[in-house]
Amino acid sequence: MSEFDVIVVGAGPAGASAAIKLATSGSSVLLVERGDPPGSKNVSGGVLWGDSMGSVIPDWEKTAPMERYVEAKGVSFLTKDSKISIDFRSRKLQERRSGYTVLRTKLDQWLAKKAKDSGAMVAAGITVDKLAFKADQVIGVEQDGDVITSDVVILAEGANPRVAINSGIREKLVDRDVAIGVKEIIKLPEKTITERFNLTSPKMGFASEYVLGFLDGGVKAGGFIYTNKESISLGLVISMKEMRENNNTRSFDLIEQFKEHPYIAPLIEGGRVDEYSAHMVQEGGIKSVPQLYGNGYMIVGDGAGFSFSNGMVLQGMNYAIASGIAAAESAMKAKIKSNFSKGSLSSYEERLKSSFVLQDLMNFKGIEDVTWSDMIHRGIPNISEELFLSLFSENGQPKKHLYNNLIRSIGSSEVPRKDMIINMYRMLRRM
Amino acid sequence: MKIEDRLSLLNYKTDKSYEHITINPSICETCPDHFCTFACPAKCYSLIEEKLNFKYEDCVECGTCDVACSHGSVAWTNTKGGHGVKYKYG
Repeated sequence: MSEFDVIVVGAGPAGASAAIKLATSGSSVLLVERGDPPGSKNVSGGVLWGDSMGSVIPDWEKTAPMERYVEAKGVSFLTKDSKISIDFRSRKLQERRSGYTVLRTKLDQWLAKKAKDSGAMVAAGITVDKLAFKADQVIGVEQDGDVITSDVVILAEGANPRVAINSGIREKLVDRDVAIGVKEIIKLPEKTITERFNLTSPKMGFASEYVLGFLDGGVKAGGFIYTNKESISLGLVISMKEMRENNNTRSFDLIEQFKEHPYIAPLIEGGRVDEYSAHMVQEGGIKSVPQLYGNGYMIVGDGAGFSFSNGMVLQGMNYAIASGIAAAESAMKAKIKSNFSKGSLSSYEERLKSSFVLQDLMNFKGIEDVTWSDMIHRGIPNISEELFLSLFSENGQPKKHLYNNLIRSIGSSEVPRKDMIINMYRMLRRM
Repeated sequence: MKIEDRLSLLNYKTDKSYEHITINPSICETCPDHFCTFACPAKCYSLIEEKLNFKYEDCVECGTCDVACSHGSVAWTNTKGGHGVKYKYG
């Protein structure tokens, strides 16, 4: 007999959601987390989009430690001198559903408590080394030579899946799988944030992604700014591949260049940096998704490569929660059948295929090539800068038609026109 | 803001008895790129008189160096017993 029905490794949104779902349905669950308290090792941008959490904690919007509700969503291209933006605000966005800005240390601690209250055993400060096997069946986890047994193990390790790698169930990560995430928490008074970002109330927030086409050495990176109650989350997601090709720019210097940009600096003026953090970010799309289940185990969340980014939005926690719940449901079904084989747990992947988790990743196959393309990082910012300069400046010369301005702007960009057309086509198809 | 000042904002519970990441100096000695010194966001890797120096104490456990080092020098493990970085916000 196993000591637990299920052991969940990692108390982030994916692992905690799985544990809550299982425990509330009567399964015996051990939730193991290496950080003590839970959340103290976890980093996210972060905005929690959507309502995935609603299916395990129906009243989460009233009780979870959320920062601000996103009422304004931006996407900007930054060149050295300019900012070209969409700043979308709509009462209709609020009627539908956007997301909440969150701070993971608070959120994950709250989620771990919810798991405990639901009946799960939570063990913080414990590092699992690898899965324990009997023949080719996973029978639990191993920590410092001790084995704790369970019928099923759900791996929710996050973007750096050491247990899965150590256990030989997934390959080591490579450049195309990940990006380097760096982030600062910048303290500002609540009122200043509300006013500075033109928000309608202190409960409302701003979230924006930035394409940074001006960084030293041409390194490609995306930036983000999210408003919390009394702080701003500001950070960068830097392509590992680009960093390697450049091999001249330091990841920790790039965040300063973003902060010093003429149209970013005023947003954080007077703010005090209260924390610096860094973590790998899953960026590889469907190509980076490993085998998701096997005899006695399932992989969920970032550790499974579940994140979505198309340059306009950047999401992960909603995929984490939905995949954690799907794995919990499959574990429960396996328990009823008393069958914890690979075949039995394959229902996990079926669940994901019928949900947004795998559908998004499959439908947007190859999106990462667009997100990191020259077109996005150089073509669009430079062409639009040139175009808007000719449209909005007035130098007493006869005006040209928009079309002629556009053609001239394209001609002045570094990207060859032939590549531009192909890339534009690919981009529109994939986005 | 210098990286040293940023790192000084962090809380660590340093494990004096276990270095969770180790490097193989003989591999680093002949390394043609030292990409780790550019990739690591916590400046744990630096060249001092052309010799690679690694400080595990400043590590924020992001995992970057394990992917960055393509020469097999980095042996990466998780910290144990709740040691290592402790974020306030995350």
